[in-house]
Amino acid sequence: MRLLLVEDETDIQSFLRRSLEDAGYEVEAASDGKTAERLAVDSVFDILIVDLGLPDQDGITLILRLRQLGVKAPVLILSARRSVDDRVRGLEQGGDDYLTKPFALAELLARLRNLLKRNSPASAEATRLRVMDLELDLLRREASRGGQLLQLTQQEFVLLEYLCRNAGRVVTRSMILDRVWGMRIQPDTNVVDVHIYRLRGKVDGTGQQPMIRTMRGVGYVLTDR
Amino acid sequence: MSSQTGKPHMRSAAWRISLWATFAFACGTLVFFLFLQSFVVADIQRRTDAWLSGEVEVLGNVAEHTPKNALYQRVLGEVAELATREVPNKLPSEGSFNDSVFFLQTGDDGSLRLWVGVGDGQAELNAMRVKAIPSGNPTDIHVQGFSVPFRVASVRIEDGSHIFLGLSERDDLRVLRNLRLRFFLLWLMLVMLGFAMVFLSTRRMLSHVRKITEAASRIGHSDLNARVPIARRNDEVSQLALTLNRMLDRIESSMHQLHTITDSLAHDLRSPLTAIRGKLESSLSKDAGGDQTESIVSAIDELDRLTDFLNKSLDVAEARADALRLTRIEVDMDDLLRAMIDLYEPSMSEKSLKVRMRSSGSVTVLADAALLHRMIANLLDNELKHLPDGCTVTVALQGAKDGASLIVEDDGPGFESGVLDHLFERRVKGRDSDGHGLGLAFVEAVTRAHGGTVSVTNRDTGGAHIAVKIPSGLEVVPESSLQTEVFEPAFQSRQIRL
Repeated sequence: MRLLLVEDETDIQSFLRRSLEDAGYEVEAASDGKTAERLAVDSVFDILIVDLGLPDQDGITLILRLRQLGVKAPVLILSARRSVDDRVRGLEQGGDDYLTKPFALAELLARLRNLLKRNSPASAEATRLRVMDLELDLLRREASRGGQLLQLTQQEFVLLEYLCRNAGRVVTRSMILDRVWGMRIQPDTNVVDVHIYRLRGKVDGTGQQPMIRTMRGVGYVLTDR
Repeated sequence: MSSQTGKPHMRSAAWRISLWATFAFACGTLVFFLFLQSFVVADIQRRTDAWLSGEVEVLGNVAEHTPKNALYQRVLGEVAELATREVPNKLPSEGSFNDSVFFLQTGDDGSLRLWVGVGDGQAELNAMRVKAIPSGNPTDIHVQGFSVPFRVASVRIEDGSHIFLGLSERDDLRVLRNLRLRFFLLWLMLVMLGFAMVFLSTRRMLSHVRKITEAASRIGHSDLNARVPIARRNDEVSQLALTLNRMLDRIESSMHQLHTITDSLAHDLRSPLTAIRGKLESSLSKDAGGDQTESIVSAIDELDRLTDFLNKSLDVAEARADALRLTRIEVDMDDLLRAMIDLYEPSMSEKSLKVRMRSSGSVTVLADAALLHRMIANLLDNELKHLPDGCTVTVALQGAKDGASLIVEDDGPGFESGVLDHLFERRVKGRDSDGHGLGLAFVEAVTRAHGGTVSVTNRDTGGAHIAVKIPSGLEVVPESSLQTEVFEPAFQSRQIRL
């Protein structure tokens, strides 16, 4: 996967480049809009990360310019501004995504995966998900572990489905709130954790290998091995 | 140039205003005096003419009825002389005979028959021959040797002779000259008086403006405490001063808020930053074999809390400054609340808190969904953090004609009485609260941004009662509800057909 990273702050750029390369991306980096434009036109990228505060131009202007030049790859917008610009919302509607700084690396990677998945040709949607001995029947909305049916509420099933789709990868609390409950909120209480504990109580029964693991300081991961 | 700098008032607005006002005033009064003068001139002429016509009539009668004998000339001469004594506007006569009046009778051949006046009357006769005088209407006649014209009236009598009575306009013109001089002096005085009055009053008024300017420039330099002086009169300048002061009040309070925010931000950032730094440092100094993850993880936790706090403070500040940008969509409050309670219920029951929801069904408002989410999350976080175990939280939603009414109440200890009045101020929190003191401030700010209201009270039976009213934001229902009711059935049937 070729990725173009447009970020002017060298610290963040080098840290992101390292992390993205660790995650398996082939990263090209640009520190300003001009370089980014040249790179994006010269070669093909699968995905772009664009910071809004570039030294020579506004990130949005750059994205719109790239779109005019025929760059079709999805864009993940990074913004230090907290309130989300209407134009960013507009881009979000157009299939791109945004993330405000500071962010968890896990969330950045997850959003990148999501964008890539959204833009890849739609594969036949699976009706069953399987992670180790955990099985989800998406049509009947039933989950079972080791052949034993789990008594899940509707909400717990959606949560587990989200974890399964991201099996082996860390999901943050705000990602869970966003994807499962459809809310971009940051509660300063442990609301998400309690849901996870409850789900864990049902999925990781006694004597079984625990699957839902807490990554302290980051989020949760459903182990797939 | 030096004279201009030497006389600063010549460049002042008061000076300019006075000049223009005086110019207008002078023009106006000039027109008035000119009109008055023309009226007086006409009046004097009318009186003179009336006198002349009357006297010449009398003289004509006398001449007609007096027998043409030796006494004729004498009788007529006496009558004419008598008449000249009653001349209007006459100066006291210097000589024996008044030279401003003459009486002349010509025969039907135009020869001089009788003359009463100064001189031999030949010049007058010549002048009369040059210009024919209509009978009855007095006319101006220029007589050689006299600079001032005579006003002459004539009458024709039966025997074909003409009688002329002439009156010099000298006295009239003298009266008019006097009048003009007085009018001019009066006009000049009025104009100067007007100028002085306008200048003084304008300067007085503008001196308030100058004071305001001075005060305002002082405010910029020193501090925001100073205020512009307010004149007692309730005029525009006082209004300006009042408005300026109110603006300063607002600026000062914003500055104060800003100071409070930066102070508390500094305070609130320092301690977690110190903690994070310490944790990271200790992880660095630990022996390579030790577990460093714990301190790094808790440093990340700390950073997350910090970010959250920063976001919330800025949200509240933005909402307070009316800078929140709302992206309004139709939101069903009922759905929203159910989803929220579904999210919070496990955490609540973990703390053995009960949640109940009362709702009369779907209530749609036009609002910013993300902000509403966060607002309700704040309300529920608040309950979750502060309620003692075993309490019950009741969330009630009711739809009204003009919006949604949301009530969150509990049977806990309620708010501390000292805190109750200041709940919406940033950073006000109960003694035992470990929050940022931003939750309710945020709730209030978001509600206000939507045009709604929040009220927080303690229930009589104990416990907190928070009522949030959000206007529907949909098209405002017209006031004439009666009409709407009348037309409702038709409206409904149309909808059904559609």
